[in-house]
Amino acid sequence: MSDWYSMNVVLIQTTLTTLLLALSIQVPLRYGVFSFAGVGAFGIGGYTGAMAMVHGEWSTWPAVLLGTLVAGVCTFLLGLVVQRLTGLYMGMATIAFTLIISVLAVNGGDWTGGAMGLYGAIGEITTMHIVLAVLIVVAFLAWTEYGRRGRKVDTVREDPELANALGIDVNGYRRLSFLISGLIGGLAGAITTLLRSTITPSEVNFHLVILALTAIVVGGARSWVGALIGAVIFVWLPTFLSFVQEWEKVAYGFIVAVAAIYLPNGVLGVVKDLWHKSRTRDERARVAVGLQEKS
Amino acid sequence: MAENTVEETRRGRPLLEVDDVAVHFGGVKAVDGITLELRAGHIYGVLGPNGSGKSTLLGAMTRLTPMTRGSFVFEGNDYTRRPARTVHHMGIARTFQTVRLLDDRSVRDNILLGQDTLAKAGRKDADARVDEVMERVGVTAVARMRPDELSYGMQRRVEFARAIIGRPRLLLLDEPTAGMNSSEREEIGALMKQLLDEGITQFIVEHDVQMMVDTCDYLFAMNFGKLIAEGTPAAVVKHPAVQEAYLGKGAGTHA
Ligand SMILES: Nc1ncnc2c1ncn2[C@@H]1O[C@H](COP(=O)(O)OP(=O)(O)OP(=O)(O)O)[C@@H](O)[C@H]1O
Ligand SMILES: [Mg+2]
Repeated sequence: MSDWYSMNVVLIQTTLTTLLLALSIQVPLRYGVFSFAGVGAFGIGGYTGAMAMVHGEWSTWPAVLLGTLVAGVCTFLLGLVVQRLTGLYMGMATIAFTLIISVLAVNGGDWTGGAMGLYGAIGEITTMHIVLAVLIVVAFLAWTEYGRRGRKVDTVREDPELANALGIDVNGYRRLSFLISGLIGGLAGAITTLLRSTITPSEVNFHLVILALTAIVVGGARSWVGALIGAVIFVWLPTFLSFVQEWEKVAYGFIVAVAAIYLPNGVLGVVKDLWHKSRTRDERARVAVGLQEKS
Repeated sequence: MAENTVEETRRGRPLLEVDDVAVHFGGVKAVDGITLELRAGHIYGVLGPNGSGKSTLLGAMTRLTPMTRGSFVFEGNDYTRRPARTVHHMGIARTFQTVRLLDDRSVRDNILLGQDTLAKAGRKDADARVDEVMERVGVTAVARMRPDELSYGMQRRVEFARAIIGRPRLLLLDEPTAGMNSSEREEIGALMKQLLDEGITQFIVEHDVQMMVDTCDYLFAMNFGKLIAEGTPAAVVKHPAVQEAYLGKGAGTHA
């Protein structure tokens, strides 16, 4: 066990930080907001944490906390500015936000280390710490998916007008989704950066959006469990796909395409459907009989 | 507050006052100066050919559709400028002309949504309450199923349940029995009368004239966004303008 752990510690940590990143993109989608601002938050959190350690000589956890909060506030403010946009326009605006962050990082001089990035933010972070951070985030998200709150969030996404008619504060929920996404993205960025002790502008880029989206599409967009499934698949897949060598990218694309076409709700959606079908077998049989009797 | 309302109604204060409401979409005057009053303790019906503005009027009443002019007063409170979400909290619930349910949630969850935003007092004993409501509209047997597994008539019952679970004082229904067979319609009609006895005033848009005459005790008739008649069902159905607009004489292609 501990052998396996020490051999795979990097993969385990990457799975956890990828999960956080995926969650920061998943949250707005779950609230019906087409925002990728979580990746910009990842950059803000990473740079803020690194600057606090390198320039401010802060210790690890205060630096992580600062990165998380600054990212949360910035993303929330972005949400106030773009909240009237819908669909693709919202997506574009939030990707622009991410680009602006990386441009600022490139032009930040000594503060951000310019194009070379910032080095020497040596955080004291163990796997246990990351597990704890993930547990807190997941516990909070599970709470938002459960019962009354979960129903309201689903309604805001599926039918905003109906949500309004049912007394749900749709715009309030949308603004909240920016805040949550920013906090989680910032946390992911700060932890990832201080774990590697470095961050460069090129890391805060569109490829993170793609990574997060593929994890969500394949795993499932409706719940944190889906993001976990997706993060596990995409972090561990390369170790199993090593035999296909240079075909790895093709295999990736194939998996994503198949998932998008055949599993509209991801792996989690399939599991949920099966569970639902087995649980309601009796009811469905009765309804079928009832329909036959009527006709 | 609730006692006040009862007292006010006794003194003859209307439950809902609609004053000169208009909704124009560009040049289309979907609703064009409607003034009416609903008093507590009645089932009101609205008749009118397709496109006469009935659904748009419900949209304006619930503040979902922006209006061009006019005002709404519910239990003495002017809510003309309040956001749509506050309408549900005030005690007005509605259904829509098309089925609008969450397809990946159970019937039970869909119904619970009708009380999820109410203050704590309105949500107490939610489990017992949802069981009771499901029993009344006849969906108990399919409580765990998803709406897209049900017939259209069953889906409408679920919507009905979602609208009444929060015990609104005014219920707005947009063609609640569309797609139902005649025995289902009778069931829903009976349920409406029961709800009235429990103090839920209703405002119903329906094309089924016979059902409206049997169920409602006051009717409005609309055409081209205006009220063309109101009064007892018998009188409204016989009204020449209504006969002309809704029941025939070249209007047969409607309804
Ligand atoms: N969002 C909108 N934009 C433009 N025109 C609209 C809109 N909604 C409704 N209308 C128009 O307003 C008029 C009234 O429509 P409404 O749906 O209120 O009629 P209705 O009486 O409910 O008809 P039906 O019996 O078919 O449901 C119609 O001419 C319709 O085309
Ligand atoms: Mg209509």
